[in-house]
Amino acid sequence: MMMKPTILIACLAATAASAADDAQRAAMKFFENEVRPVLANRCYECHAEKKQKGSLRLDNIAFITKGGDSGPALVAGDPDKSMIIEAIRYKDEDFEMPPKQKLPDKEIAILEKWVKLGAPWPEAEAARVTVNEFGFTEEDLKFWAFQPLTHPTPPDIKSPWIRNDVDKFVAQKHKALGLTPAPEADRHELVRRLYFNLHGLPPTLEQTQAFVNSKDPKAYEKLVDELLASPRYGERWAQHWLDLTRYAESDGYNQDAFRPAAWPYRDYVIKSLNEDKPYDQFVREQLAGDEIAPKDPSVLVATSYLRNPIYEYNQRDARGQYEVILTDMTDNAGELFLGLSFGCARCHDHKFDPILQKDYYRLRAFFTSVRWRDDQKLATDAEQAEFAKKQAKYEAATADIQAQIDAIIGPMIEGNVQRAYQRFQEDIRAMVDKKADEREPQDWQFSYFCERQMQYERERFDPLKSIKKPDDKARYLALTEELKKFDSLKPEPLVQAFIATDASTKGPPNLLKTRKGEADIQPGYLTLLEPKEPVIKPMEHSTGRRSALAAWITRPDNQLSTRVITNRVWHYLFGRGIVETPNDFGQLGEEPTHPELLDYLTQRFLAGGWSLKKLHREILLSATYRQTAHREVPAIAAKIDPSNKFLWRFNPRRLDAEQVRDAMLAASGELDLSEGGPSADGNGTRRSIYTIKKRNSQNELLRSLDAPAGFASTSERQSTTTPTQALLLLNGDWTLARAQKLASRVTDVKDIWEYTLGRPPTKKELTLAESFIAKRVAAPEDRPVPSPEELETANQFKENTPQERLVSSTTEKEGDDFTIEAIVKLESVDANASVRTIASRWNNGKDNVEAFGWALGVTGEKSRFKPRNLLLQLVGEDENSNITYEPIASDLRLELGVTYHVAVKVSCTAHTIAFQLQQVGKANAPLMTSVVPHTVRTGLSDGSSALVIGGVHRRAVPHQWDGLIEAARVVRGVLPDEELTTDLTKWKPPALLSWNAHEVLPTTLAWANAESSAPSADPRQRAMADLCHVLLNANEFFYLH
Amino acid sequence: MPCHNYDIPTSRRGFLSRAGCGLGAVALAALMKEPVLGAASAVNPVLSQLPQRLGRAKNVIFCFMEGGPSHLDTFDYKPLLNKLAGQKLPPSFKEPVLAMGESGAPLMESKRTWKRYGKSGLLISDWFANVAEHADDLAVINSCASDGINHAGGVCQMNTGSIFGGRPSLGAWVNYGLGTENHNLPGFVVIKDSEGTVVNGVRNWGSGFMPAVYQGVEFNSDGVPIKYLDNPKGYTSAQQREKLDLLASLNQDYGKTRTDNTELEARIRSYELAYQMQAEAPTAVDLSKETAATKALYGMDKPETAVYGRNCLLARRLVENGVRFVQLYSGAGSKWDSHSKLEENHGRLCRAVDRPIAGLLSDLKQRGLLDETLVIWGGEFGRTPMSEQGGGRDHNPNGFTMWMAGGGVKGGQTIGATDELGLYAVKDRLHVHDLHSTILHLLGVDHTQLVFHQKGRPERIDQNEGHPYTKITG
Repeated sequence: MMMKPTILIACLAATAASAADDAQRAAMKFFENEVRPVLANRCYECHAEKKQKGSLRLDNIAFITKGGDSGPALVAGDPDKSMIIEAIRYKDEDFEMPPKQKLPDKEIAILEKWVKLGAPWPEAEAARVTVNEFGFTEEDLKFWAFQPLTHPTPPDIKSPWIRNDVDKFVAQKHKALGLTPAPEADRHELVRRLYFNLHGLPPTLEQTQAFVNSKDPKAYEKLVDELLASPRYGERWAQHWLDLTRYAESDGYNQDAFRPAAWPYRDYVIKSLNEDKPYDQFVREQLAGDEIAPKDPSVLVATSYLRNPIYEYNQRDARGQYEVILTDMTDNAGELFLGLSFGCARCHDHKFDPILQKDYYRLRAFFTSVRWRDDQKLATDAEQAEFAKKQAKYEAATADIQAQIDAIIGPMIEGNVQRAYQRFQEDIRAMVDKKADEREPQDWQFSYFCERQMQYERERFDPLKSIKKPDDKARYLALTEELKKFDSLKPEPLVQAFIATDASTKGPPNLLKTRKGEADIQPGYLTLLEPKEPVIKPMEHSTGRRSALAAWITRPDNQLSTRVITNRVWHYLFGRGIVETPNDFGQLGEEPTHPELLDYLTQRFLAGGWSLKKLHREILLSATYRQTAHREVPAIAAKIDPSNKFLWRFNPRRLDAEQVRDAMLAASGELDLSEGGPSADGNGTRRSIYTIKKRNSQNELLRSLDAPAGFASTSERQSTTTPTQALLLLNGDWTLARAQKLASRVTDVKDIWEYTLGRPPTKKELTLAESFIAKRVAAPEDRPVPSPEELETANQFKENTPQERLVSSTTEKEGDDFTIEAIVKLESVDANASVRTIASRWNNGKDNVEAFGWALGVTGEKSRFKPRNLLLQLVGEDENSNITYEPIASDLRLELGVTYHVAVKVSCTAHTIAFQLQQVGKANAPLMTSVVPHTVRTGLSDGSSALVIGGVHRRAVPHQWDGLIEAARVVRGVLPDEELTTDLTKWKPPALLSWNAHEVLPTTLAWANAESSAPSADPRQRAMADLCHVLLNANEFFYLH
Repeated sequence: MPCHNYDIPTSRRGFLSRAGCGLGAVALAALMKEPVLGAASAVNPVLSQLPQRLGRAKNVIFCFMEGGPSHLDTFDYKPLLNKLAGQKLPPSFKEPVLAMGESGAPLMESKRTWKRYGKSGLLISDWFANVAEHADDLAVINSCASDGINHAGGVCQMNTGSIFGGRPSLGAWVNYGLGTENHNLPGFVVIKDSEGTVVNGVRNWGSGFMPAVYQGVEFNSDGVPIKYLDNPKGYTSAQQREKLDLLASLNQDYGKTRTDNTELEARIRSYELAYQMQAEAPTAVDLSKETAATKALYGMDKPETAVYGRNCLLARRLVENGVRFVQLYSGAGSKWDSHSKLEENHGRLCRAVDRPIAGLLSDLKQRGLLDETLVIWGGEFGRTPMSEQGGGRDHNPNGFTMWMAGGGVKGGQTIGATDELGLYAVKDRLHVHDLHSTILHLLGVDHTQLVFHQKGRPERIDQNEGHPYTKITG
């Protein structure tokens, strides 16, 4: 344990005071002649200026008494209590120094004697290193980031360039260094910069024109205000905050389970920023919304911040999981709010920053009582009461039916739940067994993991698969039909809350274990700034700890948190912070380039009531911000400031991932600006902030352009360039589809430049573009144009016609046991390995829950299953609950141009797929069959795809059927062979989907075609699409320079 | 775990001034922001600051048996297990936390026959009879240990050192440290034996907090080697070239007055490299020039070994073409995971990989490549001596086997040991961090010097906890 440092200091003082003393002189002589040589020869190789193994330095008494990772190395006057002596005595096998060989006894005796004497050290030398009672050196204490906020007055400097006080600080540096500012950017550059910076979107043509042509002298100021007031502002800036809080909608481990209730937090952040919620309030709500306003769902939702850690519920190690979550919460809070990497101090005092290991545990202590909970709704008391009333009515009306259903499935569910419970070790099970009022905080925290797995068994229970007796199954189906009649009484479900509270008013032990034993560390702040432990009063249901932490972080005199957020705003506006490392204000980070400006802006921010928008405005109106980025590097800058730290121009920037994706959608005219709510797939057209963000399966385009996966706080986006990124942008479907869409909305080449780059083409560009198109149009087309006669046939499936695929809108699911039947004729197979699809519920994905599904089709030329093989592809969970993609080949082959009757019986219960294939219209054609085992066990209809005939969920030409499909149906359950038939009159309901080409199209089915996103048959149109594609890949599209 | 000192300068500035580039801010930009995508002649900035390389290995081929192969039935012979089969784990053994939680299950015998192979006399089971012929090239590490009790954590740690995502993969570290030798191919290639998804997905070969240029690129073992390598459907090469030419001329005009922005130039080059990759990658993986004898050596002539054999042969070709790190997954999607029916499952998988891996070792040797190519075999963990569901074994991260061959490894040796039942590593325990440090050691890199600065933390592959087992070179 830490010993009282005051004794040491007293000893030191005593040694110094009696320097004149004879004994003291003798002691010094002893030190110089005997002690120092031993230390220098034996210890300094690893414990002096160059190296500090175990964080220990032995070349000054101050360092020795401060000690290393294991605590103080010396107790002056008491060799038996001094670790340095313990180590050299070789008493403890794990703690022997020097490690290679024990010192000669004589040298050991010298050091023992020296410690006994009170460890004398030359006064002048000792004074050079002063270490305070917590072990901090002078250097630590003087480090810029820990200095109190100052109140700088803007320098008294005059220049016509200066527009506001911000510029004065920048101009002063310019003057000192001999730099000159860049001219103001032209209006085209400014309008693009402002829109991308504040909205993450390019300006529309009208918006550009309005600003560029405005005669209003205040046009710029007005634009800034207009953009800050738009809801698009919150959508853009929320992305920054979500990066920092490592927000994602999945757990992040292998299972990477979806977090369907995470999105309200994203909307909370957007709304807070749009409302310009004062930053201090914003912080308080996220750290302690449950303590501030437990009844207000709009505040409670903010604690979803505490749910962002990575975790896997399908785990037995409950203690280990909670430890990991706690570490994650602690690390993130340190980086996010204080700009310090506390993570380093988890195992030892920070090597470079004055963060004690104890400080890590002090910060951790604020979170040790956090309890994750899924039992709440985001609704007011009134809303909940209203819901309960309706629900009670519904339950009363259906009690009898429900009881009968429960009698059938209740015991089965309970069995599964019990099995999940039994998988946990006994101590965890005991926690689950405890009643609410018996539970200690950790009982809540650890039992959560087991309880969630038990709950999962209830959720994933599939009655139709589990009920074995046909009678029971029939009765169950009848009862659920009966139950449906009461659906009108069912209330709309309330929004599920994904939040955290404290487990109780007590904090569980927060043990810091060291070689010297363990200590229960109480909540506290950085010792360097605030050594005292705060007095925290427990609240009614909560420890009050997180409120206390939030209060400290949001104190106006907290020099770290206030500078950190001010710097972040600067960083996002300029592409580089005044401190270049926004998440690290420590020794390994960068020092501020304009420290006074940082403090000045921080003070302005505080004076403005913690308003982020006011801070934005102040910066945006400066001449510094309005400089052009398009300035060649002046000679002096090349010499002294090539990376533009001192802002002699605006920083050129690449658009980040979301800006690129949104800008492509804006250019193609497809951008879906609907606000809020559950997320959508990234391959669609919603703004990127509203796309599903899963840690293990990020959207391909966003990932490729450095969107973070959400594993750790990200304060600076990287901007990487790789050939694989170029391949994706050049050959990937998504970008290509945007180009085709864009081509369909333009009338001429000029428009393409306007939509993509916001400016007309130059003369040279126009010439280049026109000759590109001319060359293309002259070249012969290899694509056959479908004739009108072909289009008239309802059974014809062909790419680039109005009849590419039939998409079903039914919400019914076929489950994991079902039958597919169709009458088909194939005209071609894919030239590569792709499978031409007869019917599917699949989006072509392979490794996430959205992709769960299946597709029946015929293999292509280069398939490893050989061509023309009837093949079923499955994506679902196997018996170990792993997501599995599995292609099941029947080895039944189709001839081209021949009509077949195809039937496939899928049974996850029997673990087999039974295929049948028989030529139609030929007497005595053999019935070919094959039965193939498979490993997918569940989930086949749980994906996000619709049922589709003739293709897959998302348009993918190589996967589309090419030929005839006369009829097709998908039926729940495995049909007996006698019901499989080419006689369509015998295709009886119920079927999820049943289609006969020669009958009227059912309302649940609709043709999907390529629309105008298909490569047009018109060569000029196609050339225009290629030109659009080139522009969407251009450097000017990706860069603001 | 002990935590060791860092032998690094105390600030990022100091770090840069020592990086040997000497240009202050320019070097900063180069090291921190610029993609390392220079021409082949460009000096790798990381490599240049590392001490002289001593190890012999230049490339790595990592045969990853995903799902956890049983060490008890392959490379770690435990006679006591068969003696005590059917009984409970003796109380002298600490009860481990089990993934599937089947507590109190009896010990299960290994049904294998074991033989001594080579001059060294290593004991290897009949499931790896072909690999066993190379016994004198193998360093069998019987004392591996990991923290990952489930697949997600185990596979993630074996790849990145951490049971959680977010850190760079071993292949990324190796490329970061040694650079690539062929800019038309990725430096880190991953090939799976099926369409199954490796646990955690692409994150396993991700670059974590490093720039994306270091991430692994997945090659299909048949058809297109890299995603989006083919022109979009309906486009001829000539049309693709026309588009690229137009793009290049627009980009060049844009760049003319922005010459200081090297990212613009890098982007222009990335499109050209992509185009070259479209041409070169298919050649690198074109096996049509390989003789029938070579293919047979890898087992490509037999259906059960054809897939993994093909991947092993691809690995040799990629390594020959300058790819630094190749990872070959067997049983993608945790197929080695044998909670039941271990005999059947492992029997099939061992048959699928034994001949191909033996063929790879022979082929590398006969071409003189084995010396500079480190071949690694293993999974994310081993399996328990206790049974599960009668005929299976549960996960065992506390003691399991991996082996290494080539790349300067001294063959014919056994390193470390598990206890008498193979449950815990007891002698010379090598944690995943130690294994990673050892691999870097064999590549001639001091793992304590290979540092990536991330948010104020000097990050290392081993999270400051690994020690290389230097005796592996003999």
